Amino acid sequence: MPGSSATAVRGVSKLSLDAFLERFGEGSICAQDRYDALARYEELPVRTTIRGGRGWKRDLAKLDLSAVEPFAATAGYEPLRDALSPAALAAGVTIERFSHARRQHRAAFEAAFGRALDTREDKFASLALAFQNQGAFIDVPAGVSLDEPLTSALEPDGAAVFSYTLVALGEGARATVVERIAADGATPFVGAITEIVLADRAKLVYLVDQRAGAETTLVSTRRAVLGAGASLDIGFAELGGAHVVSRFRATAAANGARTGVVVVFFSDGDQHVDVETETVHAAPNTTSETIVRSAGIGHGQGRYLGNIKILAAAHGADAALRDDALLLSDGAHIDSVPALEIAANDVKAFHGATVGAISEDELFYAESRGIARTDAERMIALGFFEPAVARFGLAELRDELRSALEAKIGATAEFARR
Amino acid sequence: MSERGLRIAGLRAGVDGNEILKGIDLDVEPGSVHALMGPNGSGKSTLAFAMAGHPSYQIQSGTVTLDGTDLTTLAPEKRARTGLFLSFQYPAAIPGVSVANFIRTARQAVHPDDLTPSKFRAAIFEQLDVLDMDPAFLSRYVNDGFSGGEKKRLEMLQLAMLKPKYAILDETDSGLDVDALRAVGNSVRALREAEAGKDIGFLIITHYPRILQHITADRVHVMMDGRIVLSGGPELANRIEREGYDTIREEVAASAG
Repeated sequence: MPGSSATAVRGVSKLSLDAFLERFGEGSICAQDRYDALARYEELPVRTTIRGGRGWKRDLAKLDLSAVEPFAATAGYEPLRDALSPAALAAGVTIERFSHARRQHRAAFEAAFGRALDTREDKFASLALAFQNQGAFIDVPAGVSLDEPLTSALEPDGAAVFSYTLVALGEGARATVVERIAADGATPFVGAITEIVLADRAKLVYLVDQRAGAETTLVSTRRAVLGAGASLDIGFAELGGAHVVSRFRATAAANGARTGVVVVFFSDGDQHVDVETETVHAAPNTTSETIVRSAGIGHGQGRYLGNIKILAAAHGADAALRDDALLLSDGAHIDSVPALEIAANDVKAFHGATVGAISEDELFYAESRGIARTDAERMIALGFFEPAVARFGLAELRDELRSALEAKIGATAEFARR
Repeated sequence: MSERGLRIAGLRAGVDGNEILKGIDLDVEPGSVHALMGPNGSGKSTLAFAMAGHPSYQIQSGTVTLDGTDLTTLAPEKRARTGLFLSFQYPAAIPGVSVANFIRTARQAVHPDDLTPSKFRAAIFEQLDVLDMDPAFLSRYVNDGFSGGEKKRLEMLQLAMLKPKYAILDETDSGLDVDALRAVGNSVRALREAEAGKDIGFLIITHYPRILQHITADRVHVMMDGRIVLSGGPELANRIEREGYDTIREEVAASAG
């Protein structure tokens, strides 16, 4: 950085964590917890995503962070500008930089922090916790209905980004939150944690809009826990990055909780996108619906692992998972791995998956109407995503996603002729 | 204008090297209605697909010309832009693509920039009315979850909106209830009565004569085993209604033997 005398720290180690703490202080995660988290990161094995001997070009086991700056030497993080309307402020809604949240909103923060996520279970969540320097705390008190969407945006600064986004909704509260990871070619690594805690009958729409730069590796760990009658609609648009590993688990912890999960990803070039979602039905009459649409073009690779877990207590549970993948070139590859674990008797569970190319019948039908083959392919491919995109509960974001998907199809402009 | 017409001359075509059409000659003049009838498996739909350019159907010899333009070497979309329309027996579903978007894209492809958005909108609403269709239809995905009747209505909506020079209706009456069949008939009649549609030539492919109660054919052709074995006026359809195809088959066999 111009005018800076600070020396960049490289690699993730005790030494670089020392430097981090000297630079930023503890924030909302105390120093000892950060050192413990770093130690766990170093101890825990990489959970391999390789199955059946297929060699992915990109693999977390080969991830080398030794040359990465774990934080920007000169970056300063201002408090989040208050984007809240006067009405929301008056209702007691909080949006705060995560690092300041424990100090400034201690009771609300501590009531939510760690409720949905134990970072100790995951290597990369531990890493993100150790070096956490970005993210937000959002708290919507009981009974408050917020119409305006709130945004937690990561701020690329050329160094690695480690973020923690904590969202808590009180009883009967309602909100829409967008987590935005914007394009920036210089960010080498993003480690993201999201924790969502919904009290009874809370309703949250949570949309992850990931359009990171083409050189970025992202590893995200997201967890949600739902109270009785609570409802979560979570959407993942994992469109950016070179190597994306995105893991989500929702736990319906009390009677009648409802989870809707939508995933959209589109691997192009040499991109590798690896998404896992799990919906855990831990209580009676809980429902979940998961819809995944993915495509691969060029030499893009992808994998979706979708698990539905119905525990013994979850009688009356109803779960459905639908995963469809579209291959737009011979070099693209997508694996689909739906799984069911059911320990209760009187439940409904459905899962289905398809992987295939654009059907010749659809193409011919469009061509017979005068639409050129490449235009027909583009139209059909975009249409393929539409049932998932349509479920993202924010109109502006839906339009942005459609444009981003179209750009991916256009940028490659290489459809395999079959 | 001797060149005008949809002219099929000596057409031999098939699938995977199996010849199904064994020399078809048929001329559809502008503004005329020809019915092509025949039992299942006689090659009627093969003719429709071969004319429209389906990649699974290979033309071995012969030509199909549209007002003088040879279609046989053209890509399917070029055939459509030349003025050919095929109403499918089994229209494909295109999930995620709305009816409005699909028809707008197709209209733009065959008649670029000839309608302002508001005129396009007015035109499509007018046709919805003729077809007795709810405007909500426009925001549904193309043929996705459509009933048989809805699919055929959508084919007719596209026919009306794309304004071809010649239209092949492949088994448009199959699987339709009385109301849907009447809607299809009304649509074709309205199209032919309009100034813009009076010159459209129709080739109506059908197994059963009942659609011809709604759309009167000028000429009726009977196809068997890949050949047109008999041609006549509208009375030929009445005969098929009464007797089925067996007596025609016997006559053809007798005259051939």
